[in-house]
Amino acid sequence: MSTHRFSKDSAEIALEKFRTGKLDRRTFLTAMAGLGLAVAIRPTSASAEANEIVICNWGGAALEAFQKAYGAPFTAATGTPVSVDGAGPATGAIRAMVESKNVIWDVTDGGMVDAVVLGTGGFVEPIDYSIVDKTLVGPDMAAEFGICNYTFANVLAYDAKKTGGKVPTGWVDFFDLEKFPGKRTMCKWIQGQLESVLLADGVKPEDMYPLDVDRAFKKLEPLLPHIIFWEGGAQSQQLFRDGEVVLGNVWHTRANLLHKENPDFAWTWAQQLLFSSAWSVPKGNPAGKKVFDFINSSLQPEGQVTLLRLMGNGPSNPKALALMTPEDKAVYPLAPENAATALKIQAAYYAANEAELQNRFLDFISR
Amino acid sequence: MTRFQRWALALTVPAAVLAIGLYVFPIFQVLALSFLEPKPGFGNYVSLFGNAAIGRVVRTTIIVSVLTTAITVVLAYVVAFAIVQMPRGRRRVALFLVMVPFWISVLVRAFSWITILRRNGVLNTVLTEAGAISEPLDLVYNQFGVIVGMVHYMMPFAILLLVANLGDIDRRIIQAARSLGAQPATVFWRVWLPLSLPGVSIATLFTIIFSLGFLVTPAILGAGRVLMIAEYLSVQISSTLRWGVATALSTLMLVAVGLLVAGAMRHPAMRAAFGGGRA
Repeated sequence: MSTHRFSKDSAEIALEKFRTGKLDRRTFLTAMAGLGLAVAIRPTSASAEANEIVICNWGGAALEAFQKAYGAPFTAATGTPVSVDGAGPATGAIRAMVESKNVIWDVTDGGMVDAVVLGTGGFVEPIDYSIVDKTLVGPDMAAEFGICNYTFANVLAYDAKKTGGKVPTGWVDFFDLEKFPGKRTMCKWIQGQLESVLLADGVKPEDMYPLDVDRAFKKLEPLLPHIIFWEGGAQSQQLFRDGEVVLGNVWHTRANLLHKENPDFAWTWAQQLLFSSAWSVPKGNPAGKKVFDFINSSLQPEGQVTLLRLMGNGPSNPKALALMTPEDKAVYPLAPENAATALKIQAAYYAANEAELQNRFLDFISR
Repeated sequence: MTRFQRWALALTVPAAVLAIGLYVFPIFQVLALSFLEPKPGFGNYVSLFGNAAIGRVVRTTIIVSVLTTAITVVLAYVVAFAIVQMPRGRRRVALFLVMVPFWISVLVRAFSWITILRRNGVLNTVLTEAGAISEPLDLVYNQFGVIVGMVHYMMPFAILLLVANLGDIDRRIIQAARSLGAQPATVFWRVWLPLSLPGVSIATLFTIIFSLGFLVTPAILGAGRVLMIAEYLSVQISSTLRWGVATALSTLMLVAVGLLVAGAMRHPAMRAAFGGGRA
């Protein structure tokens, strides 16, 4: 779910760049394609013909970005057109499509948690690793029902002007009201929130899962009056711009935009919370096995770096690193200098517990 | 039934079909889901009553809605009372100004309130610079901010309902009271207010029903700290996929609102409001 929200947010970022003239139309469309977000561009829902791959993503700017990053290279290599449908591959939508035997998407941009949920329910095909080369992606990125197409992170962002130049060193500082007085922002969607609290409370990354929810709540409770909860990426950015918050647990793409806007806004990669987004293949997809050739192509480093530049989404192929400029590396969650203290978010844990946890969290923060 | 009446009735058929197809039928689907998801039975309803978290959501919703309604109706009464005393031309301008917020999206209004109420916002800046406060006040991202936003949203509705009612009051009754020696305060409390009760009660009912279903305003102005039923439902439908619980809760809410309306309709003032003020 968090990944859905992240993908949608990346799309909003690219759309904003396109509107303000920082992206030309072609680049924009490619970026959208990369995220699998085409419906907004193509008024009729893309439907797969025999010789076409249809990606479904979250629309907006990601339509063009996906097309450019993932679609164009595949079409150039194979001649098979790729179209991007931005209808949003919610798990419910995929389930409805598969159950009604009316599948129009070949591959969906969901997230590792969704991949596990859909796989358990029998709504997606297992990734065919006789075709897809799992060595293209980093460790733990190739799962039975999903393979990582890009990565993103929740990071600790700060307003250097308000901290007086002090740089937070990790989540402990998020809780230190003396060292960093002022309001903070966290996300009201659960993934990556309690991890930051538990890291601040001294839980070791290797002991993180299953999350000790009671311990996290106990630690978080005294801080609640100082927290404003964001629900969309744009909002997290606005809270910093308005000077409402001094620290925040936000997506790295938004922290990066803030930094570009005003160098006083910065973020630390220390104890970043690392997420994998994933491709999944709905059961009975129109293009059949051919989609796995597309997935292989989408894991090539060149296209992934294109997506990084368009939207900030981090490549899943470690080889992409060699193609990056220092500027690219600064926003890449998996760059070695950034990833040293990263905590990997465990998809399997959320697949089993997210609904329950989300409700408990909403109840807790609204008390 | 005359030929004309039959034709008139026939003309309402397409609208009725649309309403039943697009409104009544989906509501029955919701009702059905609440008994069928995830397994048939009353499980969803039973779990609603055992769930302390849902209890808190319901309580928050009721508190916020009641406060919103009370503030809205009092403020709207003041405005409506002033409007009906105005000469025709000025009255038209005043009513126009009341209508302006209708043209602005609820999202834009919520974000405008944030601009005004946040810690570095317009209001706090003015108050700090005037020396009235030393620390910015927490005016938003809490229940206070949510109620401000909701009252602002509901005011035009309540004002229009009250203006219609107050404008209908027979001025000769007021004149009679004055000629019999009543002071202005007495005229208001003993004559205006009782005569305007139908308007007050319909404005109250309308505002509270509307308030119970607020989604966007509490989500934005409450920033996670004020969780009301509509937002809770939206999370259960779109995120946690607990459709059974969500549909059961919305069914209960529908029943509660239905009972509220039925109960209110038994009151003579409310019947008078629906009967055109003279029943």
